Amino acid sequence: MKAFANLSPATLAEAVELLGAARANGEIAYPAGGGSDLLGMVKDELVAAPDSIVDLKRIPGLDSIRVSDSGTAIGGLVTVDTLAGDEGIRLRYPVLAEAAAAVGTPQLKNTGTIAGNVCQRPWCWYFRQGFDCLKRGGDQCYSVIGENQQHAIFGGGPSFIVHPSDTANALVALDAEFQVAGPNGERRVPASEFFVLPRDNLQRENVLDADELLVGISLPASQAGRNGAYRKVMDREAWTHAVVSVALTLDMDGDVCRDACIVLGGVAPIPWRVSAAEDVLHGQGITAELAQQAADTALEGAQPLAKNGYKVTMARALVRRSVLEVSGTA
Amino acid sequence: MADPMNVVGRPTPRLDALERVTGQARYSPDIRLPGMLYARILRSPHPHALIRAIDFAAALELDGVVAVLTHENCDIEWASGDRANPRMLFNNPVRYYGDAVAAVAATDRHTAEAAAQLIAVDYDTLPFVLDAEEALEPGAVPVQPGGNLAPPFGALAGGGAAVPGPAVYERGDVEAGLAESDIVIEDHYVSKHHNNAQMEPRTAVAQWESGKLTVWTPTQGITNCRDDIAEAFGLPYEQVRVICEYMGGGFGNKNQCQDTDLIAAELARRTERPVKLELTRKEDFLSIHGRWPTSQYYRVGAKRDGTLHAIELTGYSGMGPHIKSSGDIAGIDFYQCPNVRKTVHTVHTNVTTSANYRAPSYPQGVFGIASVLDAICHEIDMDPVEFHLRNATRQYRDATPYTSYGLIDCIEQGAEAFDWSGRRRPAAVDAGPIRRGTGMAIGAFTARLGLSNAMLRLDDAGTLWLHAGVTDIGTGAKTTLAMIAAEAMEMDLDRVEVVWGDTDRSPYSVGESGSRTTSHTGFAIVEAAEDLKRQLDERGPPGPGEELVAEASPNPTLDGEQRYSFAAHFVELEVDTELGGVHLTKYVAAHDSGRIVNPLTATSQVKGGVIQGIGMALHEELLYDRNTGIPVNPGYYGARIATHLDTVPIDVVFVDTEDAHGPWGAKSIGESTIIPVVGAIANAIFNATGRRIKELPIGRDRVIGAMS
Repeated sequence: MKAFANLSPATLAEAVELLGAARANGEIAYPAGGGSDLLGMVKDELVAAPDSIVDLKRIPGLDSIRVSDSGTAIGGLVTVDTLAGDEGIRLRYPVLAEAAAAVGTPQLKNTGTIAGNVCQRPWCWYFRQGFDCLKRGGDQCYSVIGENQQHAIFGGGPSFIVHPSDTANALVALDAEFQVAGPNGERRVPASEFFVLPRDNLQRENVLDADELLVGISLPASQAGRNGAYRKVMDREAWTHAVVSVALTLDMDGDVCRDACIVLGGVAPIPWRVSAAEDVLHGQGITAELAQQAADTALEGAQPLAKNGYKVTMARALVRRSVLEVSGTA
Repeated sequence: MADPMNVVGRPTPRLDALERVTGQARYSPDIRLPGMLYARILRSPHPHALIRAIDFAAALELDGVVAVLTHENCDIEWASGDRANPRMLFNNPVRYYGDAVAAVAATDRHTAEAAAQLIAVDYDTLPFVLDAEEALEPGAVPVQPGGNLAPPFGALAGGGAAVPGPAVYERGDVEAGLAESDIVIEDHYVSKHHNNAQMEPRTAVAQWESGKLTVWTPTQGITNCRDDIAEAFGLPYEQVRVICEYMGGGFGNKNQCQDTDLIAAELARRTERPVKLELTRKEDFLSIHGRWPTSQYYRVGAKRDGTLHAIELTGYSGMGPHIKSSGDIAGIDFYQCPNVRKTVHTVHTNVTTSANYRAPSYPQGVFGIASVLDAICHEIDMDPVEFHLRNATRQYRDATPYTSYGLIDCIEQGAEAFDWSGRRRPAAVDAGPIRRGTGMAIGAFTARLGLSNAMLRLDDAGTLWLHAGVTDIGTGAKTTLAMIAAEAMEMDLDRVEVVWGDTDRSPYSVGESGSRTTSHTGFAIVEAAEDLKRQLDERGPPGPGEELVAEASPNPTLDGEQRYSFAAHFVELEVDTELGGVHLTKYVAAHDSGRIVNPLTATSQVKGGVIQGIGMALHEELLYDRNTGIPVNPGYYGARIATHLDTVPIDVVFVDTEDAHGPWGAKSIGESTIIPVVGAIANAIFNATGRRIKELPIGRDRVIGAMS
């Protein structure tokens, strides 16, 4: 492993400046929050060897959660564990608290930050084993004719990775807004526009530029009666990513669904919102038949590869069960 | 005379538990010597390639690099690395992804790593073959010069003529037996490369002093490791010392000496400095690992009344380029049957060489045969417990009596503890997406007797020093042997000091494999203790500065008998037919291991074996990309090794048997624990769903595939 400098800026502006300066000098610099994903990738040489790592942990003011009736602000350096245990988040945004609780292991949750969790790189086994794949600048996605059990059934091509983050699905379901700091100041990006498909950008999974940072997340005020849940199905019971997951919020008026948001994880290169399935629920009384109809609608248009058709069955069941469970119909 | 069972039979915490959990225990990676160099290995990025040239000039020029080994400048044979073909430390051609190409020694780890990357290797890539049956097809690329079919394991183990061919076992007349059967099931089962995944990766530290070589290494046999190293370097045994004080498991993966030991020793010899070679987790998964994948074709016949009448198994085991383990597919010996034919092909393939893994040839074989027999039970509407009571082995291969026999007790007491009659229901009776089912399977594993040694020294302070050439590979052997010594000497356990894990300080031991340490070494301890007690009677306790010393080297044998441990496992689980998940809800493991010396560690052994079996049944696999020949998931994350949350409370039942051999009738435990697990789970999944899944692991994809 090549030696690199560990830089500890004291302010956000300084951090952005360090990233920009590295870029201007033709050097490689990576920002690090918890570093749990980045350091592993650097050690495994899955990303270009850095000249420097810009450690964001000393920057003050990015590690707090402020919940209020008008909305909620989450600092990018808030750890996944803090988020999962925060009472305000658990009460008002259960889908996010549950998604955070579902992450990896206690160690990873203690170390990893919300920004890092959202921005983590794919866990496709070809990518992580160092195959010279599209995501690493190569000329093929090995999963297409290979071991694609874990790969995308929606939105794939030319790469078929799935987005690995649990919290990202919840944040899309909550209509979160991401604060991005960069050389030209701060910009705000809706969660629904933050993540990008491989067909739009093969090298990155989100809109961040190399000298930009995800520094905070805003959530709209939670609406009374809005229930949510995150259901994650893994191929062992801990320390792994979702085979399929669903982030669901329901705004119920008695038995009638005023509003719904359904985002599937583990099925696409980005958190995969299924609006057509939400439309099935809008204004309707939730019944087993309606939940099934929403589930069927959610999976319409899925394009499984040779070995991942089982995800369609799983996702359909997970949507149906989650709708029934969260609506209290089950 | 004291109660003869004062110590033995009492649940006893490990003597070294505190050292282990507080980080004081010194494992091989903890060894640091003055002037020590660090080594790294460069490995093949191709599954099969001819090396045309290696240029390491740039590596040598790097500041801090001291030596580089390649196949061109190092021709040491790793004798225990292959029993069919010569295996060198560095081979050309390379025959699997991860084959060692070069090793670098440098003043620190990072320099060694950087240097390894500066080695330029010119490869001529060759076609490769990953699958055992494909490797036997006409025109398949030869993995070894002699072809892909290896000699039968019997010939290799017995030192017979190493002519390629399958291993064949036969009794009765299978064709006639099948023709006479009322029901015949013909089916195909597939098991996968399943990684040992022991906690401690391989690490070797080697040091030469005045012509004597000392190697600290995690090994399951310090003596045979020493002998292998001495042979490789042309040294007399006493010029080699192997030390393994503590190790973080192996489960068969660390039998004999490893190539890491020899590479570290050779680098240390050339550089005249101590050398430490550490493997990363990924390297440890790749270099030698795991239970061999199998393809099993069965034809099994039974009479309408449930009497088993004929078993035919034709099997293929994919061993990787080298044959380090038997490659057998075992399990049909658990049944009485007049007509049996088993034909097993061990085949060279371009994948990581399989190692031994806890009951190496069994759980995959039991998956096959237990599934087929369960299918027969289903066809003739017979309860599997009743079927097993009728057909379970009574004599080894229906011919040789067992020294003691508790298999029927295991089935009956296990079924009772499980409440089989209450829980068992017909197949696929649940209508909803979550379906509950029960299953069972049985197992047997040898409880060997053989040559072993122990030395006891009683000093003038009343301390009993037990010298045994064993390594505690995680079984608690150190504690078990101390308990046997205390019991035999009628002393308190805290008066016993164990000297172990060092070839210069302890006598020969055959090594910690085959679940034999308690039986083998325990027997020697009892015999040495008898001698010591005689001396005590004659001479009295040792006076100031005196010691009494006794040594025993028994080599007990059996005359016309077989000595086995037995097991029957019962599992209840729920299958989520829509999400494809399998959730265990109850597990009972009933074992006949003779007298249980330490119920605490014996119970832990059972639980550990069951957990490994759960992982093998449901999610673990070393998966290869067929297009590139490269494994996609070497490591704890990728290979989905079972976590605590994947387990279930496991009820352990030990049945009482009296065995006339071994230390007070103690038989074996370690390996029998994993044998029935996969078969029992697979059968429970059938009982829950009515679908029989014939390929491991039974993950969500296969469950959902079977349901659709």
